[in-house]
Amino acid sequence: MATIELRKVYKTFGNIDVVKGLDLVIPDGQFTVLVGPSGCGKTTTLRMIAGLETVNSGEIIIGGKVVTKLEPKDRDIAMVFQNYALYSHLTVADNIGFPLKAIKFNKSEIKTRVLGVAQSLGIQELLDRRPKELSGGQQQRVAIGRAIIRSPKVFLFDEPLSNLDAKLRLEMRTEIIRLQRRLGTTVVYVTHDQEEAMTLSDVMVVMKDGVIMQMGKPEEIYRKPKDVFVAGFVGSPRMNLMSGKAKSGLFTTESGCQFKIDSSINGEIIWGIRPEDVKILNTKPDAPQAKVEIIEQLGPRAIVTLQVNEQQITAVVDNDHLQKIDNRSDIVIDSSVEDHHYFDAKNGLRLIDN
Amino acid sequence: MSTNHLFRARLTWTNLGNGLLVLMGLSVVLPFFWLILGSFKTGAQLNDPTLLLFNPTLENWNEIFRSGVLESTWRSAMVAFITVIFSIIIGSMGAYAISRYRSGGNVARFSILAAQVLPPAVLVFPFLEISYQLRLNDTVFAVLVPHLSFVLPVVTWFLIGFFDAVPREVEEQALVDGLSRIQALRKVVIPQVSPGIGAAAIFGFVLSWNDLFYALILAPGNSATLPVKIASFNTFRGVELGAMCAAILVAVVPVLFMSFFIQKRLVRGISGGAIKY
Repeated sequence: MATIELRKVYKTFGNIDVVKGLDLVIPDGQFTVLVGPSGCGKTTTLRMIAGLETVNSGEIIIGGKVVTKLEPKDRDIAMVFQNYALYSHLTVADNIGFPLKAIKFNKSEIKTRVLGVAQSLGIQELLDRRPKELSGGQQQRVAIGRAIIRSPKVFLFDEPLSNLDAKLRLEMRTEIIRLQRRLGTTVVYVTHDQEEAMTLSDVMVVMKDGVIMQMGKPEEIYRKPKDVFVAGFVGSPRMNLMSGKAKSGLFTTESGCQFKIDSSINGEIIWGIRPEDVKILNTKPDAPQAKVEIIEQLGPRAIVTLQVNEQQITAVVDNDHLQKIDNRSDIVIDSSVEDHHYFDAKNGLRLIDN
Repeated sequence: MSTNHLFRARLTWTNLGNGLLVLMGLSVVLPFFWLILGSFKTGAQLNDPTLLLFNPTLENWNEIFRSGVLESTWRSAMVAFITVIFSIIIGSMGAYAISRYRSGGNVARFSILAAQVLPPAVLVFPFLEISYQLRLNDTVFAVLVPHLSFVLPVVTWFLIGFFDAVPREVEEQALVDGLSRIQALRKVVIPQVSPGIGAAAIFGFVLSWNDLFYALILAPGNSATLPVKIASFNTFRGVELGAMCAAILVAVVPVLFMSFFIQKRLVRGISGGAIKY
């Protein structure tokens, strides 16, 4: 277990600044997820922590020890790659036992530990097989087994679930959480999937263009995104964001659509509301008229795409409620002012902490 | 055209194709068959290529053992073996560097075989001059270095594709798992390309084993390799066809066996080296 600290870490590839002066403290024993769109520098950050990428400037500290210039093998870390990176010429048992063999553990100890790890992951039947004889999920388990066998200070995961099908991804997600809770090891996990980040993380770090946009508990980031990028990136379906003018408690979009908002907000803003905070009603005085365009069924809930004047708004509503709406071409939408998000139109920053 | 016609047309084409394949097969197999028969024929019988039934003689085989074909075979094997050892050690490191670190960029990757387009005659005289100066002419060492000049680039080029096929992450995983770069190369990367290394070794061996040109000029006498020895059956009295047939068989059979074992990897090595960059 260890805290990881990154101090003013810069990384460039040629002329491109990939990571720009990153200051980050990854708390001890927590599950920290780095999330962001492609090219945001999250994988490079993880690789710098692992020692697989050099740092142009700045410091990396793991468990109080400066490791910036140390080889990966001297950092006491374990890593799981997206493509599992199993050694195809070795059996499953040899793959799992590889890190122990590398540090010259004796054979019987390796055997005992491999068996223990394999049992904990439910792959004891596969120990004599080669990686190519395993399914994607089994390969993933072997890769995890190889990571945990040495009890390192830190686990690093680089999009480990991307190559799995949807069902297996959910299963493995739960298993990884359970494993982390059991071992209590510091985890740094990289993903581009914000939903995965929300479900896995104790601490979520949203990155864009090599800088941290927001860091905190996932629910906090979801409820109070610091800026318009985070607001749009976190949450599925994504937040409805509209540019327009606020005046005297009324927000007017560029297409002329009007919504009641907090009366303290004035000027050019970006107004946001999460789809699940949009209410669809049969009637309500002064509420904007809307038309249902598309309904995407999710089982108990449905994603409804609405047209309000020429403005498109997404809502997530309970299916039961959707049944009660009798005329789908003649409805109104409503929302509570507390659920609104306001951002500065110029710099995209959140305006009030409601 | 009706389905029946189409079916017949297809059948005709298939038959034609098969016929062509049989012809091509025969064109390869018949010379071998002729060689085997020739090695058991007397001089007089050899004058009749159509003669299939005759009293076999071992005279030609005795003759090649008397004339030192065995020694030449041993010399050829030794030259090829040493050439391959050097080529594999240096070539695998070169191929790894070109594949992983893009050493020399795409230029190195593609121009590594550039020397192959030169006629060997361009190189043979400098080699001859150097071997004279070093008093190594007519020794196996005089043949070894020229052989390296064409086996090493081919082996390197051949291996690049195999190194390309090993995911970078596997090597990085080994670094994280506690190995140094050299250990990762030795314990993780090399074992994964070992089929390619095996194929490259056999391929290089065959290239060296078959060389006549360099060996004939640089070591024509006491240190003659097998191809030179075979050529020596073309004497001032005429071609000793029977002994030549037997000696050619000695040269060809090991190559045939080796080619059989590496044929799949040979294709993979050649296409891998050619397609990936």
